[in-house]
Amino acid sequence: MKTRPAAAATALALLVGGAAGCGANDNGGAGSKPRLTVSAATSLKRAFTAYGGDFRSAQARFSFAGSDELAAQIRQGVRPDVFAAANTKLPDQLHREGLVGRPVVFAGNRLVLAVPAHGARVRSLADLAPHGIKLAVGAPGVPVGSYTREVLGRLPAGESKAILANVRSNEPDVAGVVGKLGQGAADAGFVYVTDVVATRGRVRSIELPKALQPDVRYGAAVVRGAKQPTQARAFVRGLRGGQGQKALLRAGFEPAPK
Amino acid sequence: MSRGAAFTALLTAALAVVLTFLALPLVAIFLDVGPGRLVASLDDQGSVEALVLSLRVTLVALAVIVALGTPTAWLLATRSFRGRTLAITLVELPLVVPPAVAGIGLLAALGPRGLLGPALDRAGVELVFQTAGVVVALVFVASPFYIRQALAAFTALDPTVIEASRTLGAGDARTFARVGLPGARAGLVAGGALAWGRALGEFGATLVFAGSLGGVTQTAPLAIYGRFADDFTGALALSAVLVAVSGAILLAVKPAGGGRVLGDARA
Amino acid sequence: MLALDARARLGDFDLDAALAVPGGECLALVGPSGAGKSTLLRVAAGLLRPQYGVVRCGDQLWLDTAGGVDLPPDRRRVGFLFQDYALFGHLSAWRNVAYGLAGSGRAERRRRAHELLERFDLLDRADARPATLSGGERQRVALARALARDPAVLLLDEPLSALDASTRSRASRELLELIGTARVPTVVVTHDFEQAALLADRIAVLASGAIVQTGTASELAARPRSAFVADLTGAVVLLGTAGRDGDLTRVDLEGGGSVASTDEATGPVAATVHPWEVTLEREAARHEDSARNRLGVEVTSVTTVGNRVRVGLLGPQPMAAELTGAAAAGLALAPGVRAVAVFKATATRLVNR
Repeated sequence: MKTRPAAAATALALLVGGAAGCGANDNGGAGSKPRLTVSAATSLKRAFTAYGGDFRSAQARFSFAGSDELAAQIRQGVRPDVFAAANTKLPDQLHREGLVGRPVVFAGNRLVLAVPAHGARVRSLADLAPHGIKLAVGAPGVPVGSYTREVLGRLPAGESKAILANVRSNEPDVAGVVGKLGQGAADAGFVYVTDVVATRGRVRSIELPKALQPDVRYGAAVVRGAKQPTQARAFVRGLRGGQGQKALLRAGFEPAPK
Repeated sequence: MSRGAAFTALLTAALAVVLTFLALPLVAIFLDVGPGRLVASLDDQGSVEALVLSLRVTLVALAVIVALGTPTAWLLATRSFRGRTLAITLVELPLVVPPAVAGIGLLAALGPRGLLGPALDRAGVELVFQTAGVVVALVFVASPFYIRQALAAFTALDPTVIEASRTLGAGDARTFARVGLPGARAGLVAGGALAWGRALGEFGATLVFAGSLGGVTQTAPLAIYGRFADDFTGALALSAVLVAVSGAILLAVKPAGGGRVLGDARA
Repeated sequence: MLALDARARLGDFDLDAALAVPGGECLALVGPSGAGKSTLLRVAAGLLRPQYGVVRCGDQLWLDTAGGVDLPPDRRRVGFLFQDYALFGHLSAWRNVAYGLAGSGRAERRRRAHELLERFDLLDRADARPATLSGGERQRVALARALARDPAVLLLDEPLSALDASTRSRASRELLELIGTARVPTVVVTHDFEQAALLADRIAVLASGAIVQTGTASELAARPRSAFVADLTGAVVLLGTAGRDGDLTRVDLEGGGSVASTDEATGPVAATVHPWEVTLEREAARHEDSARNRLGVEVTSVTTVGNRVRVGLLGPQPMAAELTGAAAAGLALAPGVRAVAVFKATATRLVNR
């Protein structure tokens, strides 16, 4: 009987210790790779996951979400090692606020009009205007959403207004738009061409006229106070010209500008 | 320290840890930004719109849940039939399904390409991107909370009292209405409060199934999430209101629920 | 007339019993707990469906498992009194009573309920909730409620058992009167033979799912068909082995000693005698009389019941004697006192075991 409380206390201690150990910063002993934390825009998921598999100097762990949400987390004190966004505006802002190092542009992308692969009611931008079309776009604060509004802003006022009136959902990141398209819930949506590629045929893309195409540039920066600054810089370098760039190109991104 | 005192100390420590852990994020919400700024941030169209929508959809969802869930719970509690255990498990299933998965499931069932998609389309019923879709998502995730409580409350009724009602000439319907419902009232109210609280906080299934559009489908939790990125104070304010409303609901229900201490006399 | 015939599985054994109760008669079902008494009552009421059963009330067929007839309880006109009364806690006394009154308007139901409560002397408690009523008051409300619908049969499950001793005697008298005026077949379930003897015209003894004997209280007491029934009716039961001894039967008792009986039996038997036929003598007084049974005993208890005294005894086996108060006093009986229990061979009944 006397051993029971002792055993329970030991179990409890192990549990708490284990949990605490999980959160601890383990740079590991000699021989185990350091861990690199990367906050990246949702549209980078496929490319970055592939890059992470090839990245030698650290074990990369990713947190994918809308770029604006990731930026807000960094403002609130979350400290990943690398921040990679779907625009340059957010990294520049954070740099001005002293939260990240100088951002570099590492890739481009194209915004496209996406429709379900089968039975699509929409075949061009003009088809978006009639009443009753169900359009899914990103929320205004997330890069894909602001690019979308940029495109629509370049259309004649009447058409732009009609299209915006058909917006049925402001998704917090591009995955939500793609998801709705895949399920046939939305008639059309604005996503990156790389996202369409990733759906492997469930979603079709309709190219936008070059005149309307926004300048989609992805920026990345090393976060100040990062635990693994050296590896972080190596990761970013690899994005511009290295395994990262290769993975990005394979996924359909445009190359980093010279 | 005697054994008894040591055990009491352990219990007290556990309670302190739990209370702190649960209360800290909520307290932080209220403390991080002063009340003045909180109120000011609330005074904007989007926030009010989100709150009003939240109240509307959760109340409608609650009405549906109670209307359908109460007879369901009565049947499960008072009749034995083949497949009863399976039925109870199915009713409780949404409890263990992650909300996003629930949303995906709803899309697969009720979306335009879903199992019932064509039928709904023929009937002229649109759910995705509509407020009605939000209600559907809420009913799905919150009904187990109500039905479980209702089932427990009906099961706890003294069976001889039910039998007495039957011997006095009351059929099942009258027995349900005049003996079952009044007897189980405390449990039913508690279940309704839990379901309402769950519905108020629902996020994942709503987002995936119904989308997020101000005034139509953007409930308070979705609005908080959308606000989080560029208006943290606004997000805090809305969060504070949501926490306050949920807390008020729980407190209001407390007297009806009980709170009898086991082995009462000795504190 | 209530006629019932049922077979059901009851845990360790099968219930297989049939009974018939004419209008105006009260039958008591007596037996130990778990014997199946309440089960029979519930079958009659429609609260339990047996594997096989037929229940007829007058010319109405309430249950016929073979023929697919099973009227739900609300379609049978039964007045059921539950062991713990099963009152509706959220309703006042008069609303409880009015619960069964359907059809008539609210005012009429109220009037009838109050009328019934007055008959049970509860009018001043009409608006009280069951939780505030005493045990006896709750029992009367439950009875009034059961009677409200003018039932065709009355089924009472341990109607007096939950009452304390002082309330019980008054309640017994009231219940007896009620059963008399109701004039419908009544079945009372009780584990107490004396209660049964008081309330019922006939008693059916139920043991392990079967009715072992039916008859009036005196018939059962005078001619028990088994040791079990004898024990139930309060007789002294002595176990032993019988053999002929001249023109008497001698029973060698387990534990020592022997008794003689004018009954004929051989082999393992139970010798039974009524306590009031046992006299006690102090050890000093000795009579030689082969026709009288004499057993040395020690007094274990002395209980006064009205003007009689019941004396618990321990001989070769436990026994009891009933004396007048005066006789007991004269013998200066007290626990520990040694005495001799004496009873006639002609008063000793034998039943095969």
